[in-house]
Amino acid sequence: MTEQWEHADTTLVEQWTRIRAQLRAEVGDAAFNSWLKPLTLGEMLGDRLRIAVPTRFMRDWIEENYGNRLTEFWQEENANVAQVEIIVEPIRATVPAPGGPPRSPIGQRHDGDIASMSGAFEHANTGNAVTTDPEDVRALLDQRFVFKNFIVGRTNELAHAAARRVAESDGVPFNPLFLFGGVGLGKTHLMHAIAWHITERDPSRRVLYMSAEKFMYQFIRALRFRTTMDFKEQFRSVHILMIDDIQFICGKDSTQEEFFHTFNALVDQNRQIVVSADKSPSDLDGMEERLRSRLGCGLVADIHPADYELRLGILQDKAEQLGARMPDKVLEFLAHKITSNVRELEGALNRIVAQSTLVGRPVTLETTQEILRDLLRANDRRVTIEEIQKRVAEHFNIRLADMHSARRARAVARPRQVAMYLAKQLTARSLPEIGRKFGGRDHTTVMHAVRKVDELRAMDNSFNEDVELLKRMLEI
Amino acid sequence: MTTTEPPAQLVLDLGHRPALGRADFLVSQCNAEAVAWIDRWPDWPAPGLVIWGPAASGKSHLGQVWQARIAAPMISAADLDNREPPDLAGDLGAVYFDGADGIVGNPTRQRAALHVYNLIAEQGGKILFSARTPPGRWRIELADLHSRLNALPAVAIAPPDDAVLGAVLLKLFADRQLHVGVAVIQFAVTRMERSFEAAERLVTALDTAALASQRRVTIPLLREVLPHIGSAGHSDELP
Repeated sequence: MTEQWEHADTTLVEQWTRIRAQLRAEVGDAAFNSWLKPLTLGEMLGDRLRIAVPTRFMRDWIEENYGNRLTEFWQEENANVAQVEIIVEPIRATVPAPGGPPRSPIGQRHDGDIASMSGAFEHANTGNAVTTDPEDVRALLDQRFVFKNFIVGRTNELAHAAARRVAESDGVPFNPLFLFGGVGLGKTHLMHAIAWHITERDPSRRVLYMSAEKFMYQFIRALRFRTTMDFKEQFRSVHILMIDDIQFICGKDSTQEEFFHTFNALVDQNRQIVVSADKSPSDLDGMEERLRSRLGCGLVADIHPADYELRLGILQDKAEQLGARMPDKVLEFLAHKITSNVRELEGALNRIVAQSTLVGRPVTLETTQEILRDLLRANDRRVTIEEIQKRVAEHFNIRLADMHSARRARAVARPRQVAMYLAKQLTARSLPEIGRKFGGRDHTTVMHAVRKVDELRAMDNSFNEDVELLKRMLEI
Repeated sequence: MTTTEPPAQLVLDLGHRPALGRADFLVSQCNAEAVAWIDRWPDWPAPGLVIWGPAASGKSHLGQVWQARIAAPMISAADLDNREPPDLAGDLGAVYFDGADGIVGNPTRQRAALHVYNLIAEQGGKILFSARTPPGRWRIELADLHSRLNALPAVAIAPPDDAVLGAVLLKLFADRQLHVGVAVIQFAVTRMERSFEAAERLVTALDTAALASQRRVTIPLLREVLPHIGSAGHSDELP
């Protein structure tokens, strides 16, 4: 079956690319993605052109709904085509050959765009055919991850400069570029930025970006389906290979072995390799020694956790990108509080902006603390009735024992009511239970206290503030 | 039936099918934010959203409403043990991960979850997570995953206030085709623990008691049942 794909000539492929674009324009993205995208170009047999689909159902559907248009488009493009024949061709190798030599029209790339293999994987289990549209592939890169959006500070300037160098250089300045640092500090951002920059500057250069984990899954799959040749082929034909989070193949010997060969083959051809990890090459436990030494023989650039200045700078830039008006106080608060990594810092900002838009409230320090409560507080405080009684007693300067006593003097009765009110508000305890904790009072007494405090809060502003303050103290 | 004290009738729990449509979901102050986030899909500022809240607060209900609306697959933490991430992620660009805190303390699941997350994020897709607690408080050994989860918007379903508790009781009774008066609801609300879980336990207990004794759900029956429903372990906990 393989030969069928090997002799497809490049003219056909180019015509097919144009027809696909026309079809997409005509039927819209949704229908195109569901039905027409999986079509793959087959061969010419006399005046019949073959188009392959992965399942019989799809063939029937496409013949029924798009058959005529397909034929018309082909006839316009190619005078030799009299008839378009739709055949069922179960996916041969679900691994597309991103921009490989013109031996395989499946997933062939002619725009030299960034290729990625994810398509293969996602479709692998559904049996759908895989093509790598330029649009698809671009969708795999995060559009925000460009150099322009990378805020440079003391802690990441080396990694940034090295990434720039790779992106802007026509040759191979150092091989590999090894970026390492803790999670969420911008390694992936730099890799995507390299990919965007290179493909924009020179669309003929093929870039392949994937996570190490995906490399592994694809490799295992290729072994299982005996398609290792295709698997190897797709790597050997790229100009720049980027593997993210290489630490995920630590301890995976056969995957490492395969990666080692891929690595060497590309280095021999003077192709650029960029690798990222959470540790330096020498600290990668479970990585073969020979691979470790290869990984460390180019430029090793680390990214340190962002310092306060950089965190603040990132927040300011990001807020501007989001078009959000954020008080300085809030940004400073975030930069102080969220020190773990940049991803979480940006995530927090995203949440605040989205949440305040959602509920139509301006962003303040208070709303910020409220929205990020789950992040800022390591634990849910369990407010207990005892705690409430203690705090309230302190606040009103009465004895704790008076919470349980039978005394009815207003000086103790009012604080006791406030405590009952807060117990009702801040705990899930039932009214009878609250009553019991206040010296065995009836649940109707608690209900009365709740009503009374509600009334007083509505009437008396300073009382209201008192209760509010107590509530907040207990909640934080 | 000649005996004055009929023997307790054997009750078979034939199950009841709770109504799970969007229209059956009680939108109130305690879950309005979560509902607003769900309705806002796909306009989420990150590859995912976490909805968290106490047991029986309607997280899964809300998750299933979302899931049904966009035909996303639902996965559970246990699925991570025996299915491969590409299979779990599917190719729709949307997954509902029910009970996501089931990955806590299990590095193998965390790793699989990370890969599912990456696959979805790469497609520009979204994952909806539901859990009892927010990811910020989970013990996650895999730092890559933890930081991704922490960067997601997390929205809480708050414990019910009295009005919601009453409405929840009404719905739970209706699910079991039990007709109860407002006075019964009112009586229960003022005397029970204020949690979704307690509401479920109470209604189940009342249903069982009513069937067994062949009585209607009334205040006297409620008086008998209430002391026996116990309390949730963490009823003091606030989200």
